[in-house]
Amino acid sequence: EEQSFHVRYRMEVSCLELALEGERLCKVGDYRAGVSFFEAAIQVGTEDLQVLSAIYSQIGNAYFHLHDYAKALEFHRHDLTLTRTVGDLLGEAKASGNLGNTLKVLGRFDEAVVCCQRHLDIARDINDKVGQARALYNFGNVYHAKGKSICWSGAEPGDFPEEVMLALREAAEYYEANLAIVKELGDRAAQGRTYGNLGNTYYLLGNFRKAVASHQQRLLIAKEFGDRSAERRAYCNLGNAYIFLGEFEVAAEHYKRTLQLARQLKDRAVEAQACYSLGNTYTLLQDYERAIDYHLKHLIIAQDLNDRIGEGRACWSLGNAYTALGNHDQAMHFAEKHLEICKETGDRGGELTARM
Amino acid sequence: EAKSSAVASSHILHSDGGEMEPETMEMKSVSEYFTKMHLDSVMSRQGGKQREADTC
Repeated sequence: EEQSFHVRYRMEVSCLELALEGERLCKVGDYRAGVSFFEAAIQVGTEDLQVLSAIYSQIGNAYFHLHDYAKALEFHRHDLTLTRTVGDLLGEAKASGNLGNTLKVLGRFDEAVVCCQRHLDIARDINDKVGQARALYNFGNVYHAKGKSICWSGAEPGDFPEEVMLALREAAEYYEANLAIVKELGDRAAQGRTYGNLGNTYYLLGNFRKAVASHQQRLLIAKEFGDRSAERRAYCNLGNAYIFLGEFEVAAEHYKRTLQLARQLKDRAVEAQACYSLGNTYTLLQDYERAIDYHLKHLIIAQDLNDRIGEGRACWSLGNAYTALGNHDQAMHFAEKHLEICKETGDRGGELTARM
Repeated sequence: EAKSSAVASSHILHSDGGEMEPETMEMKSVSEYFTKMHLDSVMSRQGGKQREADTC
């Protein structure tokens, strides 16, 4: 019996060591290696169900970060089953939250809502304010994603079908409810995230003044934390909102800050996006020389990144800008390039526009 | 709400209705669980000693 105890003890220690290494690797962002260690820990096995739940949960999160959502779903489901079996309410709330986020990404919104509700119900039952706030934020994200998924193509913000507007209004209500709690808790980081998503929701609802107010709050908090990625997102989202308010000069200033930050963060794709937005904004301002300058910058990055769709967009915009300046040779050159790319990428709409 | 009639967002912007903030995933940490277990056991041992001392 003593020997069997010794074997079990060794197993527990090995499992724990492997899990701790998996945890360390995930913390530094090496999710692939982290998953390997966690899976090895499961192979060794443990009788401690809290440890097993933590392993399932962390593998689920690692797969989530690796964008392998089917695997993430599998492990968060294991975690949910385990926590329900042992009657671990807090663990069940967390598993439900993670499962809800995963189902949302998979576009399974009705199931995601059930998970968010379970997360919220448990958090309320055990008087866990932080948990309640997190569940409300997840709820907002589910409704926001649902709204966007129903109808996106071509429609303008604020002009979506009623079903979309309903989902977006629901999202805004959940974000507002979350804000009430995180303000009470003094959690500035959580407030920042919520203001960002609330701003995007108001933007889609066509309420651009409220969108600007939310994104300005997001910007302020990003600066407090020195979070340059969040700052860049806020500037870009503010630029988009100012375009719809018809304040093109202000939009351009925000896109310029986006561009500066994208360069500092060495994010080439975002740099390209900022150049594209600036090119279009200067077209709206009828400053075609500057518009061409930014569209050419966009074109160069798109070519570097082998982004044929981006390249096609740049050529289309350059064609228009050169036409406006009366430079028909250059306009024709870029129109032909645009047509060639549309044929290659199978963009029928673009092809028809290019032929005109 | 004021809105520019001349602008079609689909032609102006790359992003589909704004860049979203990251999801918040719930964390269950093995190391935190063991630290808590360790502290609990130390506390209960100290509590026991305290009670023993009180009865002396």
